[in-house]
Amino acid sequence: MVGLGIIFAPMFGAALVYFLTRNAQHIAKYIALGWFLVLFFISFYWYKHLPSDGSFLYLGEFLKVPQFAFSLTLQIDALSVAMLLLTAALLVLVVFTSWEEKKQAAYFSLLIFFSGPIFGVFMTTNVLWFFMFWELTLVPMLFLVGIWGAENRIYAAIKFFIYTHVFAMFMFVGFYLLFAQTGVWDLLTIKEALLATPALIWWLMFLGFAAKLPVFPFHTWLPDAHVQAPSSISVLLAGVLLKMGAYGLIRFTVELMPVSTLLFAKWMLIFGLITTLYAGFLAIYERHIKKMVAYSSISHMGLVVVAISTMTYDGLSASLYEMIGHALVISPLFLIAGWLHHKTHTWYMDEMGGIMKKAPYVSAIFILAGMAALGLPGTMGFVGELTIIVSAVKAYGWWIAVIAIAGLISAGYIIWAIRRVIHGPMSEKVAKADFSMHFAEKFALSVFAFLIVYFGINPQPIFDLANKAFSFLGGM
Amino acid sequence: MSFIVLIAAGLLVPIFYRSNIFIAKTISFIAFILAMYFIYTHNSLNALFPYFVSDEATRLMEYVLLITLMAVTFSLTGFERPLISQMLFLAGASLALLETNDFFMYIVLFEVIAIISYILVANIRNYYNAEGAIKTFIAGAVASGIILIGFALYSFNTDSFNYVDMNVAGKYTLIAVTIMLAGIFYKLTIVPMHGWAADAYSQINHAAAAILSGVIKSVILVATFKAFYKFMIAYPLASVLIFSFFAIITMTLANFMALWQKRISKILAYSSIAHSGYALIPFAASASLYAYSGVLYYAIAYIFMQTSVFLILNDLRRELGVKYLDDIKGLYKKAPLHSLFFTVQLFSLAGIPLLAGFLSKAVAFYAGVDAGLWVIVLIALLNSALAVGYYVWIIKHIYFDEPREDVERVILISNGSLIGQLILLAGTIYFGIVASNVFDATIQF
Repeated sequence: MVGLGIIFAPMFGAALVYFLTRNAQHIAKYIALGWFLVLFFISFYWYKHLPSDGSFLYLGEFLKVPQFAFSLTLQIDALSVAMLLLTAALLVLVVFTSWEEKKQAAYFSLLIFFSGPIFGVFMTTNVLWFFMFWELTLVPMLFLVGIWGAENRIYAAIKFFIYTHVFAMFMFVGFYLLFAQTGVWDLLTIKEALLATPALIWWLMFLGFAAKLPVFPFHTWLPDAHVQAPSSISVLLAGVLLKMGAYGLIRFTVELMPVSTLLFAKWMLIFGLITTLYAGFLAIYERHIKKMVAYSSISHMGLVVVAISTMTYDGLSASLYEMIGHALVISPLFLIAGWLHHKTHTWYMDEMGGIMKKAPYVSAIFILAGMAALGLPGTMGFVGELTIIVSAVKAYGWWIAVIAIAGLISAGYIIWAIRRVIHGPMSEKVAKADFSMHFAEKFALSVFAFLIVYFGINPQPIFDLANKAFSFLGGM
Repeated sequence: MSFIVLIAAGLLVPIFYRSNIFIAKTISFIAFILAMYFIYTHNSLNALFPYFVSDEATRLMEYVLLITLMAVTFSLTGFERPLISQMLFLAGASLALLETNDFFMYIVLFEVIAIISYILVANIRNYYNAEGAIKTFIAGAVASGIILIGFALYSFNTDSFNYVDMNVAGKYTLIAVTIMLAGIFYKLTIVPMHGWAADAYSQINHAAAAILSGVIKSVILVATFKAFYKFMIAYPLASVLIFSFFAIITMTLANFMALWQKRISKILAYSSIAHSGYALIPFAASASLYAYSGVLYYAIAYIFMQTSVFLILNDLRRELGVKYLDDIKGLYKKAPLHSLFFTVQLFSLAGIPLLAGFLSKAVAFYAGVDAGLWVIVLIALLNSALAVGYYVWIIKHIYFDEPREDVERVILISNGSLIGQLILLAGTIYFGIVASNVFDATIQF
């Protein structure tokens, strides 16, 4: 029942929170914070109680419809728990980073609403319910981007909504065919051998996940949505929504249809490589600071796809590590990029400069997160990129080391961005700006910085989870 | 019994509705509750008349129909009063249409409902209303003529009109059925027989449009599936071709037309036409076990959401004079509750999960996949995804735009409307999460 509660309570409770706090707006964030902490502790409890053999922790089965083999089956394994912990942690931190947001009652009600379906996505093993939660996450995001976003917010919100919705429909036909050919909706009981048209299903599903991840050429919604969204929401978009795509890719291709995935792995590899390199080059070209971060985010997700395409224990562990690393590294970059725009009223890096002198604390964290993004040893970025390159070389041979170029490219745009934004002569706009930051936001940034370094030095807890999650591929 | 109660109440209500609308609403409320009670105790038409049977699926649809009409009754005021008694007659005729197992009765009751709908739309206040009413009437008359030609042709071929015993193998049966379907497609607003609906739904009084586009269409959908089921099974190839062809052109054309509209009622009218297209997919997939579940689920979901959006639009038009998209800019400041109900029901129409609109589409389209028509289902899904464009466009005007002038006062929702909308919202959410009722009613396991 706890599982059912943490999915449905926020969805129905959000409206209640809105009407209760409409006349006392500042209370909303405390309710949100409390709820997200509860989510975090429940996820942590599940983390502690995971079966040690890598099987699923059964949380119950609800709303059964035997005629349609349809029921809300809640089961979690190490991969879902990793995602749940990441989601809950990001939600808690996002409350701090949006401490001074406008229209708080509505904003935090929507965040609370969002926590329901996103937990549902990672908790259910029923394919139809998975799809329902997957689609429902779009609704709060539509409003969060459309109401609180920057100047072009409406265009970005509607494009994001329709784009991902349309591609989800391909995925949905894939799910339909899965059910039509096997007669079950449950992920764990679907057998690939029973499928009559595995290739068709694989490609239909891949399209849906590829648009979410996003993979070139389906990435065009992302720069718009991430740039126009308020920074805290960019954190959720990059940290959680993109992870849904990677999670789906692992669950539905690698775990569900290993034979077809092996057949099409080279395509996944090609898509991943192109995404990484193409987005990296676009990032070098950008003057717009948040777009640069957004392209860097796409570039890293490309690496995740490369890691998944290896279909080995090493590769998938690396992909899980990089998913978490990407969320923690890209979040402070988005937050600081948005904050700089808020303070200097410009998006363009060449109009900034010399921020180190006026805001040393934020600059230091920007540099740290930037270094993590380019893969400096001692940070999460290094472990992620190293393990991905090693696993890819193991799987595909030495030539795949070309993806190290991605690291080189990211060094290029990150260091150049630091040079243009943080150091250099102080521009007029920076000189005029007032760089004060609320304590809550500073706190959240320092937590991100701590986690980047902590898991960079001690990656073992994440690899332990990966060991449980991917033990079916061998493991240690 | 339920039929008699509803008709008696329908005759009683006109005595009161001019002097005291409260008594009129109470009488019709009691009549709806009593009718539901009689349906529950299996004392519906089947207890008194031949040619009627009441199975579980029919009963479910009847409950939903009566609850929806009850919600509409609560939210009527002012010059919409005559609708109260007309809805009671409509409820009686709809119960009969849903329960009948005789093709001749089906045709007769179909005409009865058509006549009630002409009276519904005749609630005329201005030239627009009059134009809509005339269009409804003329299109309806044409449809009746076409149906009768087809029926006359068919009646040469069969000795019995019972749904089970009908002879479907005779000469010209296929032609007769096709002609009858052409007439019925007028009522279901299938392209190219949709032209009258696009105008009429937006021109007639919005409360009447809610009943015409939401309630009547759903009832006809379910009843038509039951009536034509034997034909569809007998001519599988023809039914796949006919229904999938019309499904695709209907939804595609209606969705593209809806994108161009500036008038909100016109967008909703085209959205209603597009939904008829989606609803034809389980007809095409009649070979599937899930076809009847799909049709029933679609009708149930559609009746709640379509009725609800037109009723809210009716309120907004009365209170704020809303006609065009520009009029609802920043509506959330002027009318927060109306905006919330409107948004949720629009999301349901758009097929967003945890609302009835999604699950009903999921089941109805699955019937298509089950029958092997996955390409058509893919086209339908892409259509419904693109349709999000105009639904979200309405929501964008409500929430993302600033109002054109300063907000002077907040429009509160009236008690009657609030109760009505809450009932419809509860239906939309309930059937969006719980699918077991529909499946228990249609598939014995």
